[in-house]
Amino acid sequence: MGVDCRVTVTEEITTLLHRNFGIEPEAVRIEASLHDLGMDSLALEELRVLLEERLDIDLEDVQLTSRETVGQLATAVDEKTAR
Amino acid sequence: MTPRPAAAVTGLGLVTAAGVGAGAAWQGVTRSGAPSGVRHRAELQGLSCDFLYTIDDLDTESVLGVPALRMMDRFSQLAVIAAREAVADAGLDTSVWETDRVAVVIGSAHGGLPFYDRQSAVLAEKGVRRVSPKLAPMTTVNSAASSVCMDLGARGPSLSVSTACSSGTVAIGTALQLLRGGACDIVIAGGAESVCSRLLIASACQMRAVSTRRDDPATACRPFDADRDGFVVGEGAGLVVLERPEHAAARGARIRAGIAGYGASSDAYAAVAPDPGGAGIERALRTALADAGVAAADVGHVNAHGTSTVMNDLIEATVLHRVLGDRPLVTSTKAMTGHALGAAGGIETALTVLALERQLVPPTGNFRTRDIRIPVDVVAKEARPAAFECAVKTSMGFGGHNAALVLTKSC
Repeated sequence: MGVDCRVTVTEEITTLLHRNFGIEPEAVRIEASLHDLGMDSLALEELRVLLEERLDIDLEDVQLTSRETVGQLATAVDEKTAR
Repeated sequence: MTPRPAAAVTGLGLVTAAGVGAGAAWQGVTRSGAPSGVRHRAELQGLSCDFLYTIDDLDTESVLGVPALRMMDRFSQLAVIAAREAVADAGLDTSVWETDRVAVVIGSAHGGLPFYDRQSAVLAEKGVRRVSPKLAPMTTVNSAASSVCMDLGARGPSLSVSTACSSGTVAIGTALQLLRGGACDIVIAGGAESVCSRLLIASACQMRAVSTRRDDPATACRPFDADRDGFVVGEGAGLVVLERPEHAAARGARIRAGIAGYGASSDAYAAVAPDPGGAGIERALRTALADAGVAAADVGHVNAHGTSTVMNDLIEATVLHRVLGDRPLVTSTKAMTGHALGAAGGIETALTVLALERQLVPPTGNFRTRDIRIPVDVVAKEARPAAFECAVKTSMGFGGHNAALVLTKSC
Protein backbone atom coordinates (compact mmCIF):
# COMPACT_ATOMS: atom_id res chain seq x y z
CA MET A 1 0.00 0.00 0.00
CA GLY A 2 2.90 2.31 0.80
CA VAL A 3 4.26 2.25 -2.74
CA ASP A 4 0.87 2.90 -4.34
CA CYS A 5 0.10 5.68 -1.88
CA ARG A 6 3.44 7.29 -2.49
CA VAL A 7 2.85 7.34 -6.24
CA THR A 8 -0.48 8.98 -5.63
CA VAL A 9 1.00 11.48 -3.19
CA THR A 10 3.75 12.37 -5.64
CA GLU A 11 1.14 12.96 -8.29
CA GLU A 12 -0.78 15.18 -5.91
CA ILE A 13 2.34 17.15 -5.09
CA THR A 14 3.16 17.48 -8.79
CA THR A 15 -0.34 18.72 -9.54
CA LEU A 16 -0.28 21.26 -6.71
CA LEU A 17 3.17 22.51 -7.66
CA HIS A 18 2.08 22.96 -11.25
CA ARG A 19 -1.31 24.53 -10.61
CA ASN A 20 -0.38 26.81 -7.73
CA PHE A 21 3.29 27.56 -8.29
CA GLY A 22 3.65 27.24 -12.06
CA ILE A 23 6.28 24.48 -11.83
CA GLU A 24 6.35 22.25 -14.89
CA PRO A 25 5.45 18.62 -14.07
CA GLU A 26 8.57 17.25 -15.76
CA ALA A 27 10.73 19.24 -13.33
CA VAL A 28 9.11 17.57 -10.33
CA ARG A 29 11.43 14.58 -10.01
CA ILE A 30 11.79 12.51 -6.85
CA GLU A 31 15.39 13.64 -6.35
CA ALA A 32 14.74 17.33 -7.04
CA SER A 33 15.06 19.56 -3.98
CA LEU A 34 12.25 21.96 -3.27
CA HIS A 35 14.82 24.75 -3.42
CA ASP A 36 15.72 23.70 -6.95
CA LEU A 37 12.06 24.03 -7.85
CA GLY A 38 12.08 27.62 -6.61
CA MET A 39 10.14 26.95 -3.41
CA ASP A 40 11.06 29.42 -0.68
CA SER A 41 9.98 29.19 2.95
CA LEU A 42 6.70 31.02 2.38
CA ALA A 43 5.88 28.84 -0.63
CA LEU A 44 6.52 25.74 1.48
CA GLU A 45 4.04 26.93 4.09
CA GLU A 46 1.52 27.60 1.35
CA LEU A 47 2.13 24.09 0.01
CA ARG A 48 1.60 22.70 3.51
CA VAL A 49 -1.87 24.31 3.68
CA LEU A 50 -2.74 23.07 0.20
CA LEU A 51 -1.65 19.50 0.95
CA GLU A 52 -3.52 19.43 4.24
CA GLU A 53 -6.70 20.59 2.56
CA ARG A 54 -6.34 18.38 -0.50
CA LEU A 55 -5.52 15.19 1.38
CA ASP A 56 -7.34 15.98 4.63
CA ILE A 57 -4.24 15.41 6.73
CA ASP A 58 -2.37 17.26 9.47
CA LEU A 59 1.21 18.21 8.63
CA GLU A 60 1.66 20.52 11.62
CA ASP A 61 4.51 18.47 13.08
CA VAL A 62 6.23 17.87 9.73
CA GLN A 63 9.25 20.11 9.29
CA LEU A 64 9.42 21.46 5.77
CA THR A 65 12.61 22.97 4.43
CA SER A 66 13.62 23.72 0.90
CA ARG A 67 16.60 21.36 1.30
CA GLU A 68 14.27 18.39 1.22
CA THR A 69 13.55 16.59 -1.98
CA VAL A 70 10.20 15.90 -3.56
CA GLY A 71 10.69 12.26 -2.59
CA GLN A 72 11.29 13.10 1.07
CA LEU A 73 8.22 15.32 1.10
CA ALA A 74 6.17 12.56 -0.50
CA THR A 75 7.36 10.10 2.13
CA ALA A 76 6.44 12.47 4.97
CA VAL A 77 3.02 13.08 3.49
CA ASP A 78 2.62 9.36 2.79
CA GLU A 79 3.20 8.57 6.46
CA LYS A 80 0.37 10.91 7.40
CA THR A 81 -2.03 9.59 4.79
CA ALA A 82 -1.32 5.99 5.82
CA ARG A 83 -2.51 6.63 9.37
CA MET B 1 7.15 81.25 -4.79
CA THR B 2 9.84 80.62 -7.37
CA PRO B 3 8.89 77.70 -9.62
CA ARG B 4 10.81 74.53 -8.89
CA PRO B 5 12.11 72.05 -11.44
CA ALA B 6 9.56 69.97 -13.29
CA ALA B 7 9.60 66.27 -13.97
CA ALA B 8 9.35 64.94 -17.49
CA VAL B 9 6.70 62.35 -18.20
CA THR B 10 8.30 59.84 -20.54
CA GLY B 11 6.00 56.84 -20.23
CA LEU B 12 2.38 55.93 -19.55
CA GLY B 13 0.74 52.71 -18.42
CA LEU B 14 -3.03 52.38 -18.18
CA VAL B 15 -5.14 49.40 -17.22
CA THR B 16 -8.73 50.57 -16.88
CA ALA B 17 -12.32 49.50 -17.32
CA ALA B 18 -12.44 51.92 -20.28
CA GLY B 19 -9.58 50.09 -21.99
CA VAL B 20 -6.36 48.19 -21.33
CA GLY B 21 -3.30 50.03 -22.58
CA ALA B 22 -2.95 53.79 -22.90
CA GLY B 23 -4.28 53.87 -26.46
CA ALA B 24 -7.35 51.80 -25.67
CA ALA B 25 -8.04 53.71 -22.46
CA TRP B 26 -7.85 57.02 -24.32
CA GLN B 27 -10.25 55.70 -26.94
CA GLY B 28 -12.52 54.56 -24.14
CA VAL B 29 -12.70 57.89 -22.37
CA THR B 30 -12.94 60.10 -25.45
CA ARG B 31 -15.74 58.30 -27.23
CA SER B 32 -19.33 59.43 -26.90
CA GLY B 33 -22.03 57.27 -25.37
CA ALA B 34 -22.37 55.05 -22.35
CA PRO B 35 -19.41 53.34 -20.68
CA SER B 36 -18.74 49.73 -21.59
CA GLY B 37 -16.96 48.54 -18.46
CA VAL B 38 -19.75 48.67 -15.89
CA ARG B 39 -21.72 45.56 -15.02
CA HIS B 40 -23.67 43.75 -12.33
CA ARG B 41 -21.58 41.36 -10.23
CA ALA B 42 -22.94 38.13 -8.79
CA GLU B 43 -20.94 38.56 -5.58
CA LEU B 44 -22.71 41.86 -4.93
CA GLN B 45 -26.22 40.44 -5.33
CA GLY B 46 -28.69 41.94 -2.89
CA LEU B 47 -26.70 45.12 -2.22
CA SER B 48 -28.20 48.50 -3.06
CA CYS B 49 -25.23 48.95 -5.40
CA ASP B 50 -24.59 45.60 -7.09
CA PHE B 51 -22.48 46.85 -10.00
CA LEU B 52 -18.89 47.88 -10.62
CA TYR B 53 -16.56 48.93 -13.40
CA THR B 54 -14.35 45.91 -14.07
CA ILE B 55 -11.70 44.86 -16.55
CA ASP B 56 -12.86 41.60 -18.04
CA ASP B 57 -10.72 41.31 -21.16
CA LEU B 58 -7.43 40.84 -19.36
CA ASP B 59 -5.93 37.37 -18.86
CA THR B 60 -3.57 38.15 -15.99
CA GLU B 61 -2.37 34.55 -15.73
CA SER B 62 -1.07 34.44 -19.27
CA VAL B 63 0.43 37.94 -18.98
CA LEU B 64 2.15 37.46 -15.63
CA GLY B 65 2.53 33.68 -15.28
CA VAL B 66 1.58 31.58 -12.24
CA PRO B 67 4.82 32.00 -10.24
CA ALA B 68 4.45 35.80 -10.16
CA LEU B 69 0.68 35.78 -10.01
CA ARG B 70 0.50 33.64 -6.88
CA MET B 71 2.01 36.36 -4.71
CA MET B 72 -0.16 39.22 -5.95
CA ASP B 73 -3.71 40.22 -5.24
CA ARG B 74 -5.38 41.80 -8.22
CA PHE B 75 -4.40 45.40 -7.48
CA SER B 76 -0.73 44.40 -7.59
CA GLN B 77 -1.28 42.46 -10.81
CA LEU B 78 -2.80 45.53 -12.47
CA ALA B 79 0.10 47.65 -11.18
CA VAL B 80 2.70 45.32 -12.69
CA ILE B 81 0.93 45.23 -16.06
CA ALA B 82 0.67 49.04 -16.11
CA ALA B 83 4.31 49.39 -15.03
CA ARG B 84 5.52 47.15 -17.84
CA GLU B 85 3.60 49.26 -20.33
CA ALA B 86 4.87 52.55 -18.88
CA VAL B 87 8.50 51.42 -18.90
CA ALA B 88 8.23 50.11 -22.45
CA ASP B 89 6.52 53.33 -23.52
CA ALA B 90 9.41 55.30 -22.01
CA GLY B 91 11.85 53.29 -24.11
CA LEU B 92 13.67 52.07 -21.02
CA ASP B 93 15.68 48.86 -21.16
CA THR B 94 15.51 47.25 -17.72
CA SER B 95 18.50 45.06 -18.50
CA VAL B 96 20.83 48.05 -18.69
CA TRP B 97 19.24 50.81 -16.59
CA GLU B 98 20.99 51.96 -13.45
CA THR B 99 18.74 49.93 -11.23
CA ASP B 100 19.67 51.59 -7.91
CA ARG B 101 18.46 54.92 -9.31
CA VAL B 102 14.97 53.70 -10.25
CA ALA B 103 12.26 54.44 -7.69
CA VAL B 104 8.70 53.16 -7.46
CA VAL B 105 5.88 55.03 -5.72
CA ILE B 106 2.42 53.50 -5.94
CA GLY B 107 -0.74 54.60 -4.22
CA SER B 108 -3.65 52.43 -3.20
CA ALA B 109 -6.50 52.96 -0.78
CA HIS B 110 -7.38 49.38 0.09
CA GLY B 111 -4.51 47.21 -1.11
CA GLY B 112 -5.36 43.53 -1.12
CA LEU B 113 -8.71 43.84 0.59
CA PRO B 114 -10.38 41.20 -1.64
CA PHE B 115 -7.83 38.57 -0.57
CA TYR B 116 -8.32 39.63 3.04
CA ASP B 117 -12.09 39.28 2.56
CA ARG B 118 -11.72 35.77 1.08
CA GLN B 119 -9.35 34.66 3.82
CA SER B 120 -11.75 35.93 6.48
CA ALA B 121 -14.31 33.56 4.97
CA VAL B 122 -11.76 30.71 5.02
CA LEU B 123 -11.08 31.38 8.70
CA ALA B 124 -14.79 31.35 9.52
CA GLU B 125 -15.63 28.29 7.45
CA LYS B 126 -12.53 26.08 7.74
CA GLY B 127 -10.58 27.28 10.74
CA VAL B 128 -7.11 28.62 11.41
CA ARG B 129 -5.20 25.79 9.75
CA ARG B 130 -6.56 26.68 6.32
CA VAL B 131 -5.66 30.39 6.43
CA SER B 132 -3.09 31.35 3.82
CA PRO B 133 0.40 32.30 5.04
CA LYS B 134 0.42 34.88 2.24
CA LEU B 135 -2.16 37.17 3.82
CA ALA B 136 0.24 39.86 5.05
CA PRO B 137 2.50 40.08 1.99
CA MET B 138 -0.44 40.09 -0.41
CA THR B 139 -2.80 42.47 1.35
CA THR B 140 -0.57 45.27 2.59
CA VAL B 141 -0.73 48.42 0.48
CA ASN B 142 3.00 48.23 -0.25
CA SER B 143 2.67 44.97 -2.15
CA ALA B 144 1.92 46.74 -5.43
CA ALA B 145 5.15 48.73 -5.20
CA SER B 146 7.19 45.73 -4.11
CA SER B 147 5.70 43.59 -6.87
CA VAL B 148 6.63 46.20 -9.48
CA CYS B 149 10.16 46.44 -8.04
CA MET B 150 10.61 42.66 -8.23
CA ASP B 151 9.12 42.43 -11.70
CA LEU B 152 11.26 45.18 -13.19
CA GLY B 153 14.32 44.87 -10.97
CA ALA B 154 13.97 48.43 -9.66
CA ARG B 155 16.18 48.85 -6.59
CA GLY B 156 15.90 52.55 -5.72
CA PRO B 157 13.57 54.00 -3.10
CA SER B 158 10.24 52.21 -3.09
CA LEU B 159 7.24 53.40 -1.20
CA SER B 160 3.51 53.27 -1.00
CA VAL B 161 1.08 56.08 -0.52
CA SER B 162 -2.31 55.57 1.03
CA THR B 163 -4.42 58.71 1.18
CA ALA B 164 -7.72 57.14 0.17
CA CYS B 165 -8.98 58.40 -3.18
CA SER B 166 -6.12 60.86 -3.69
CA SER B 167 -3.44 58.14 -3.32
CA GLY B 168 -2.45 58.04 -6.99
CA THR B 169 -2.09 61.81 -7.23
CA VAL B 170 -0.13 62.01 -3.99
CA ALA B 171 2.13 59.22 -5.28
CA ILE B 172 2.99 61.25 -8.37
CA GLY B 173 3.53 64.37 -6.27
CA THR B 174 5.81 62.39 -4.00
CA ALA B 175 7.69 61.11 -7.03
CA LEU B 176 8.24 64.68 -8.18
CA GLN B 177 9.73 65.48 -4.79
CA LEU B 178 12.00 62.41 -4.90
CA LEU B 179 13.38 63.56 -8.25
CA ARG B 180 13.85 67.12 -7.05
CA GLY B 181 15.67 65.82 -3.99
CA GLY B 182 18.02 63.76 -6.11
CA ALA B 183 17.02 60.42 -4.56
CA CYS B 184 16.67 58.81 -7.97
CA ASP B 185 16.79 59.44 -11.71
CA ILE B 186 13.64 57.62 -12.76
CA VAL B 187 10.37 57.09 -10.89
CA ILE B 188 7.50 54.81 -11.80
CA ALA B 189 4.55 56.40 -10.02
CA GLY B 190 0.78 56.32 -9.84
CA GLY B 191 -1.93 54.18 -8.33
CA ALA B 192 -3.51 50.73 -8.40
CA GLU B 193 -6.76 49.42 -6.98
CA SER B 194 -9.10 46.46 -7.27
CA VAL B 195 -11.76 46.02 -4.63
CA CYS B 196 -14.39 43.68 -5.97
CA SER B 197 -15.27 42.71 -2.42
CA ARG B 198 -18.76 42.17 -1.04
CA LEU B 199 -17.48 43.37 2.32
CA LEU B 200 -16.25 46.74 1.06
CA ILE B 201 -19.14 47.46 -1.29
CA ALA B 202 -21.63 46.54 1.43
CA SER B 203 -19.99 49.13 3.65
CA ALA B 204 -20.02 51.74 0.88
CA CYS B 205 -23.74 51.05 0.44
CA GLN B 206 -24.32 51.47 4.17
CA MET B 207 -22.45 54.76 3.97
CA ARG B 208 -24.78 55.82 1.11
CA ALA B 209 -21.79 57.03 -0.87
CA VAL B 210 -22.40 54.91 -3.96
CA SER B 211 -25.02 55.17 -6.67
CA THR B 212 -28.10 52.99 -6.26
CA ARG B 213 -29.17 53.06 -9.91
CA ARG B 214 -29.31 49.27 -10.18
CA ASP B 215 -31.78 49.47 -13.03
CA ASP B 216 -29.34 51.36 -15.23
CA PRO B 217 -25.71 50.89 -14.13
CA ALA B 218 -24.27 52.28 -17.35
CA THR B 219 -25.60 55.75 -16.58
CA ALA B 220 -25.25 55.57 -12.78
CA CYS B 221 -22.01 57.51 -12.57
CA ARG B 222 -22.88 61.08 -13.65
CA PRO B 223 -20.19 63.52 -12.53
CA PHE B 224 -21.39 67.12 -12.23
CA ASP B 225 -24.86 66.17 -13.47
CA ALA B 226 -27.85 67.59 -11.59
CA ASP B 227 -29.14 64.04 -10.99
CA ARG B 228 -25.91 62.51 -9.66
CA ASP B 229 -26.47 60.21 -6.71
CA GLY B 230 -23.09 58.71 -5.78
CA PHE B 231 -19.97 57.16 -7.19
CA VAL B 232 -19.49 53.75 -8.77
CA VAL B 233 -16.39 51.79 -7.83
CA GLY B 234 -13.96 50.76 -10.54
CA GLU B 235 -10.69 48.88 -10.73
CA GLY B 236 -7.51 49.75 -12.54
CA ALA B 237 -3.97 51.04 -12.49
CA GLY B 238 -2.45 54.17 -13.93
CA LEU B 239 1.28 54.78 -13.83
CA VAL B 240 3.66 57.31 -15.31
CA VAL B 241 7.41 57.24 -15.75
CA LEU B 242 8.98 60.45 -14.49
CA GLU B 243 12.54 61.70 -14.95
CA ARG B 244 14.33 64.99 -14.58
CA PRO B 245 14.08 66.66 -17.99
CA GLU B 246 17.84 66.64 -18.48
CA HIS B 247 18.00 62.92 -17.71
CA ALA B 248 15.27 62.22 -20.24
CA ALA B 249 16.94 64.44 -22.82
CA ALA B 250 20.35 62.83 -22.29
CA ARG B 251 19.03 59.41 -23.22
CA GLY B 252 17.01 60.80 -26.11
CA ALA B 253 13.66 59.96 -24.57
CA ARG B 254 10.40 61.35 -25.86
CA ILE B 255 9.07 63.83 -23.32
CA ARG B 256 5.31 63.54 -23.39
CA ALA B 257 4.51 66.28 -20.86
CA GLY B 258 5.77 67.83 -17.66
CA ILE B 259 4.67 67.52 -14.05
CA ALA B 260 5.43 71.08 -13.04
CA GLY B 261 3.82 71.49 -9.65
CA TYR B 262 2.28 69.65 -6.75
CA GLY B 263 0.22 70.71 -3.77
CA ALA B 264 -1.33 68.73 -0.95
CA SER B 265 -3.41 69.57 2.08
CA SER B 266 -5.66 68.12 4.72
CA ASP B 267 -9.18 69.31 5.53
CA ALA B 268 -8.84 68.25 9.19
CA TYR B 269 -12.61 68.19 9.05
CA ALA B 270 -14.30 64.77 8.83
CA ALA B 271 -13.60 61.09 8.16
CA VAL B 272 -15.60 61.06 4.94
CA ALA B 273 -17.31 64.36 4.13
CA PRO B 274 -15.23 67.05 2.46
CA ASP B 275 -14.99 70.46 4.06
CA PRO B 276 -18.08 72.24 2.67
CA GLY B 277 -16.09 75.41 2.12
CA GLY B 278 -13.47 73.62 0.04
CA ALA B 279 -10.61 75.40 1.80
CA GLY B 280 -8.43 72.28 1.73
CA ILE B 281 -8.67 71.52 -1.97
CA GLU B 282 -8.28 75.24 -2.70
CA ARG B 283 -5.04 75.32 -0.72
CA ALA B 284 -3.72 72.24 -2.51
CA LEU B 285 -4.55 73.76 -5.89
CA ARG B 286 -3.03 77.16 -5.13
CA THR B 287 0.09 75.47 -3.76
CA ALA B 288 0.46 73.39 -6.91
CA LEU B 289 0.10 76.46 -9.14
CA ALA B 290 2.71 78.37 -7.14
CA ASP B 291 5.02 75.34 -7.12
CA ALA B 292 4.79 75.23 -10.91
CA GLY B 293 5.01 78.98 -11.38
CA VAL B 294 1.85 78.79 -13.46
CA ALA B 295 -0.81 81.51 -13.37
CA ALA B 296 -4.38 80.44 -12.83
CA ALA B 297 -5.33 82.06 -16.14
CA ASP B 298 -2.94 79.74 -17.98
CA VAL B 299 -4.80 76.58 -17.01
CA GLY B 300 -6.89 75.40 -19.94
CA HIS B 301 -8.10 72.03 -18.72
CA VAL B 302 -8.89 70.25 -15.46
CA ASN B 303 -9.31 66.52 -15.10
CA ALA B 304 -11.34 66.79 -11.92
CA HIS B 305 -11.88 64.34 -9.12
CA GLY B 306 -15.57 64.50 -10.11
CA THR B 307 -16.84 61.43 -8.32
CA SER B 308 -20.55 61.91 -9.01
CA THR B 309 -21.40 62.45 -5.36
CA VAL B 310 -23.52 65.49 -4.58
CA MET B 311 -21.03 67.10 -2.22
CA ASN B 312 -17.70 66.33 -3.94
CA ASP B 313 -18.73 67.68 -7.30
CA LEU B 314 -20.33 70.83 -5.91
CA ILE B 315 -17.42 71.72 -3.62
CA GLU B 316 -14.76 70.86 -6.18
CA ALA B 317 -16.41 72.77 -9.03
CA THR B 318 -16.92 75.80 -6.80
CA VAL B 319 -13.24 75.81 -5.84
CA LEU B 320 -12.08 75.28 -9.42
CA HIS B 321 -14.12 78.27 -10.52
CA ARG B 322 -12.95 80.38 -7.59
CA VAL B 323 -9.28 79.69 -8.31
CA LEU B 324 -9.15 79.20 -12.08
CA GLY B 325 -12.10 81.21 -13.34
CA ASP B 326 -14.16 80.50 -16.44
CA ARG B 327 -11.45 79.34 -18.84
CA PRO B 328 -10.66 75.70 -18.01
CA LEU B 329 -12.52 72.92 -19.74
CA VAL B 330 -13.44 70.62 -16.88
CA THR B 331 -14.05 66.93 -17.22
CA SER B 332 -14.37 63.86 -15.08
CA THR B 333 -13.40 60.64 -16.78
CA LYS B 334 -14.89 58.53 -13.98
CA ALA B 335 -18.11 57.93 -15.88
CA MET B 336 -16.02 55.81 -18.28
CA THR B 337 -13.50 54.27 -15.88
CA GLY B 338 -15.49 54.14 -12.64
CA HIS B 339 -14.02 55.51 -9.47
CA ALA B 340 -10.84 53.50 -9.11
CA LEU B 341 -10.26 54.96 -5.63
CA GLY B 342 -6.51 54.95 -4.92
CA ALA B 343 -5.75 54.34 -8.60
CA ALA B 344 -7.91 57.23 -9.81
CA GLY B 345 -5.23 59.92 -9.56
CA GLY B 346 -2.72 57.79 -11.45
CA ILE B 347 -5.18 56.93 -14.20
CA GLU B 348 -6.41 60.50 -14.53
CA THR B 349 -2.94 62.04 -14.52
CA ALA B 350 -1.97 59.73 -17.40
CA LEU B 351 -5.17 60.73 -19.22
CA THR B 352 -4.33 64.40 -18.65
CA VAL B 353 -0.94 63.83 -20.29
CA LEU B 354 -2.76 62.41 -23.31
CA ALA B 355 -5.19 65.37 -23.31
CA LEU B 356 -2.24 67.78 -23.37
CA GLU B 357 -0.53 65.88 -26.16
CA ARG B 358 -3.60 65.66 -28.31
CA GLN B 359 -5.09 69.02 -27.31
CA LEU B 360 -8.38 67.26 -26.77
CA VAL B 361 -10.51 67.17 -23.61
CA PRO B 362 -12.45 63.96 -22.98
CA PRO B 363 -16.17 64.36 -22.33
CA THR B 364 -17.79 63.80 -18.96
CA GLY B 365 -19.77 60.66 -19.72
CA ASN B 366 -23.42 60.46 -18.75
CA PHE B 367 -23.66 64.23 -18.31
CA ARG B 368 -27.21 65.10 -19.30
CA THR B 369 -28.64 67.77 -17.04
CA ARG B 370 -26.72 70.83 -15.99
CA ASP B 371 -26.66 71.58 -12.26
CA ILE B 372 -27.11 75.32 -11.96
CA ARG B 373 -24.93 75.31 -8.84
CA ILE B 374 -21.94 73.94 -10.82
CA PRO B 375 -20.17 77.05 -12.11
CA VAL B 376 -17.53 75.51 -14.40
CA ASP B 377 -17.53 74.60 -18.10
CA VAL B 378 -18.12 70.85 -17.99
CA VAL B 379 -17.21 69.18 -21.27
CA ALA B 380 -20.12 66.91 -22.13
CA LYS B 381 -21.38 64.59 -24.84
CA GLU B 382 -18.24 64.56 -26.98
CA ALA B 383 -14.54 65.30 -26.70
CA ARG B 384 -13.69 68.96 -27.26
CA PRO B 385 -10.57 70.15 -29.08
CA ALA B 386 -8.81 73.06 -27.40
CA ALA B 387 -5.47 74.83 -27.31
CA PHE B 388 -3.88 74.73 -23.86
CA GLU B 389 -0.37 74.60 -22.45
CA CYS B 390 -1.28 73.79 -18.84
CA ALA B 391 -3.69 71.40 -17.18
CA VAL B 392 -4.58 70.48 -13.63
CA LYS B 393 -5.41 67.19 -11.96
CA THR B 394 -7.27 67.40 -8.64
CA SER B 395 -8.03 64.64 -6.15
CA MET B 396 -9.93 64.57 -2.86
CA GLY B 397 -9.76 61.56 -0.56
CA PHE B 398 -11.84 60.36 2.37
CA GLY B 399 -10.32 61.80 5.51
CA GLY B 400 -9.74 65.13 3.80
CA HIS B 401 -6.62 64.23 1.80
CA ASN B 402 -6.48 66.78 -1.01
CA ALA B 403 -3.94 66.88 -3.81
CA ALA B 404 -3.37 68.76 -7.04
CA LEU B 405 -0.88 68.45 -9.87
CA VAL B 406 -0.06 71.01 -12.54
CA LEU B 407 0.89 69.49 -15.88
CA THR B 408 2.47 71.28 -18.80
CA LYS B 409 2.56 70.44 -22.49
CA SER B 410 6.32 70.79 -22.57
CA CYS B 411 9.04 71.01 -19.96
